[in-house]
Amino acid sequence: MAAYVLRRLLRTLLVIIGISVVVFAFVRSIPGDPAVAMLGERATPEAAARLREQLGLNQPWFINYKDPAHLFDAQYPKYVGALLHGDLGSGIKSQIPVVNELKTRFPATVELAIGAIIFALLIGLPAGIIAALRRNTVWDNLATAVSLVGVSMPVFWLGLLLSWFFAVVLGWLPPSSRLSVGYSIQPITGLDVLDGLLRGQFAAAWNAFIHLILPSVALGTIPMAITARITRNSLLEVLGQDYVRTARAKGLPPRSVTLKHALRNALLPVVTVVGLQVGALLGGAVLTETIFSWPGLGSWLYDAISLRDYPVIQGGVIFAALVVSVVNLLVDLSYAFLDPRIQYA
Amino acid sequence: MQSIKFKPALKNVLLTALLASSAGLSAQAATLVFGNNGEPVSLESGNITDGISILVQHQIYDTLVHFKDGTTNTIPGLATSWKANADATSWTFNLRKGVKFHDGTPFNADAVVFNWQRFWDPKNEYGYRDQGRTYEIVGQLLGGFKGEKGSVIKDIVKVNDYTVRFDLSGSSSVLPSVVGAGYFGIASPTAVKKDGAKYGTPSSTPVGTGPFSFVSWKTGDRITLKANTDYWGTKPKVDTLVIRSIKDASQRLNELKAGTIDFTADLSPDALKDVTADKSLAAVRKPSFNVGFLSLNNSNQYLKNDKVRQAISMAINKKAIVDAFWNGLGVSSTSFLPPVLGWANSKNVPADYKYDPAAAKKMLADAGYPNGISLDLWYMPVSRPYFPNPKPIAEAMAADLSAIGIKVNLKTEDWAKYLDDRNKEPGFDMYMIGWTGDYGDPDNFYAAYYGPNAADDINFKSPELNALLDQGRAAVGQAAKAKIYAQIHEITYKAGYRIPIVHSQPLAAKRTYVQGWVPSPLGSEAFNKISIVGKK
Repeated sequence: MAAYVLRRLLRTLLVIIGISVVVFAFVRSIPGDPAVAMLGERATPEAAARLREQLGLNQPWFINYKDPAHLFDAQYPKYVGALLHGDLGSGIKSQIPVVNELKTRFPATVELAIGAIIFALLIGLPAGIIAALRRNTVWDNLATAVSLVGVSMPVFWLGLLLSWFFAVVLGWLPPSSRLSVGYSIQPITGLDVLDGLLRGQFAAAWNAFIHLILPSVALGTIPMAITARITRNSLLEVLGQDYVRTARAKGLPPRSVTLKHALRNALLPVVTVVGLQVGALLGGAVLTETIFSWPGLGSWLYDAISLRDYPVIQGGVIFAALVVSVVNLLVDLSYAFLDPRIQYA
Repeated sequence: MQSIKFKPALKNVLLTALLASSAGLSAQAATLVFGNNGEPVSLESGNITDGISILVQHQIYDTLVHFKDGTTNTIPGLATSWKANADATSWTFNLRKGVKFHDGTPFNADAVVFNWQRFWDPKNEYGYRDQGRTYEIVGQLLGGFKGEKGSVIKDIVKVNDYTVRFDLSGSSSVLPSVVGAGYFGIASPTAVKKDGAKYGTPSSTPVGTGPFSFVSWKTGDRITLKANTDYWGTKPKVDTLVIRSIKDASQRLNELKAGTIDFTADLSPDALKDVTADKSLAAVRKPSFNVGFLSLNNSNQYLKNDKVRQAISMAINKKAIVDAFWNGLGVSSTSFLPPVLGWANSKNVPADYKYDPAAAKKMLADAGYPNGISLDLWYMPVSRPYFPNPKPIAEAMAADLSAIGIKVNLKTEDWAKYLDDRNKEPGFDMYMIGWTGDYGDPDNFYAAYYGPNAADDINFKSPELNALLDQGRAAVGQAAKAKIYAQIHEITYKAGYRIPIVHSQPLAAKRTYVQGWVPSPLGSEAFNKISIVGKK
């Protein structure tokens, strides 16, 4: 087990190095120059050239082949050198160290992702189970229809619709942001709801919670639909297997057969899928956070990409890759607990 | 009988809820919340060129010169008066006495010289940005930096503790307007020195003399400011000002309707109906201070021909387009200058373009293309106040042009690339772009797109025009200026390389209890005169 984890961590390191090279080359080959993007309508060629020089963007990318004496006096070697010291550089536009910004942005995204996963499981699992148990009934069709709509609804449209309906028409929930004006929570973990509870600021925690609902629903809709589909299919498959028939033949109550025997085994693919959804959640966060003014990784990357803010894009993508790798590792390890037949060597 | 005791946890909940709600109420009564359309880049004056940052900075910093509410006319700011020498090659500013920065340090000539030197001198120790230390906007508005040939400023000198003189390399009558532009807020030298390169970032404390002082900046979310009770001008009418960053225009409208923000700007023109239908809201029309235009590129073989360009300007039904897409929040005219600068327009140029498809078609035939031509039209991928929804506007223009036999290929690309490609050979045939003014002078508009430093997007340079622009900048007094800019108006109208489509009024809105807001055409304004009247 320990050897397996170590091997996986080493592989993660290689993946991160690979991604740093790819993202470095990739962001620099997207057409559109950060200097021009930043100057906007005011970008005269002279002003852009001046800014480019200030930002060091006129230096070569990977190796300085023009000047063999300073071969590594190029953008990438400098970047990696700083990276090894834990320095991801500073945003071109904001001049704020990328690491500092990651520290405040990442917890916001984690909170939103947790909210989305809870929503996905809370609705998706029961819907899938009901659909499987009441196969080919109205309930099954309803669950299928809901999950189909869920998958095909664009996040930004759903987000605006939710905001308009629940905040403007009904007035039940706040339209966007993490906290109402007048509240503040001193961060411990950076998850506002949790920190509010830990600090005993229950009104603020409640305020943070109601702010979390709409973006969680918007972000969680696709995973919810997928969870419902997978649960239904997986449970149907398990219910048809011999051991379930045996359990029934033994005269066990149907509820116990379904929940104890079948569901536990049916959950394995669901865990895999939920684990895979973490990457998708980070992607979905880009739009959801932008719509809901949620100060997380997604809205930060969204701005950075449109401005070609290289250090922010690089730092954000490398960090996201790290998170996805670690989550995948945890998902793989969790199999061993769900299915005793799986062993790691 | 046992007495009932609250469990401590439960007691805490109740107490906290009670306290929070009462604190919330009293704070709310004096808290004004503005929905900004994005997050500022920096709160360091000398680090920004974008409207979002300027708006926030304007609450914290004062400039030497202010503008009268709702206009572009200069009034005293941190300078109480200013005067040029006979040929306007040197301007002397008398500074306001008894003003203190938020950190308690005195405002004086040293502070002004300190700030202006760091804006203008790329080698200055306290200049912005770690590497190059040049502040682009100085180069753009004032011809260049210290040591450069084009720099309008020759030196900035302290005459005495409350007098500063700007020595110029040539004549300029616009200098007071330029130093009044929202970019050039005067910061506390002590604070700038203390925080060094960190100054203006969320982890520093920006310090100015403005109506509000800095409390906190939660990145991606909000900036909280509190009233500066020692403000020299009109003291703020609220205790706290919160500026929230809400990028999406529809979401800003949702927030306003839900009452979670008190006022906002840069709404889409479509929102006007929504705002007027809601009794708790009021629309606020900002005076127009921008121009959205279509640029025609001289590198294109057809567009080289004066008659083709003329045919294009006659073929587009600008008035119909403005009526359709701006919901009455815009005007079309033949001038590059927005209506507030109308005094600088020529009387020999018609107020509006002649829309005449038949004549346009004939003109195209006269140019040698009776069977029509084909051109690319590039539309912006982003919304700007002057072109809130570029694609349908481009489609409407394309339809008008196809009516006279010009086949239009509509094209677009990512904004960063669009801005880049327009200046690269061969550029775009026709493309949409615009400009929002920084200060109230025609020079700011014409120089940006016709001056010697202007973009290379249309491949049109005219020495005659450049000479007139120099004269315009030097001329003192509105009458003298009007004469020169009228000539510029005539030349640019006849040349037809840039066809003004619209001067839009960006739509802002507020809850009805928000009173005293006179929006500035310049896009940056202090919120000190705004109050909350009645129940929020």
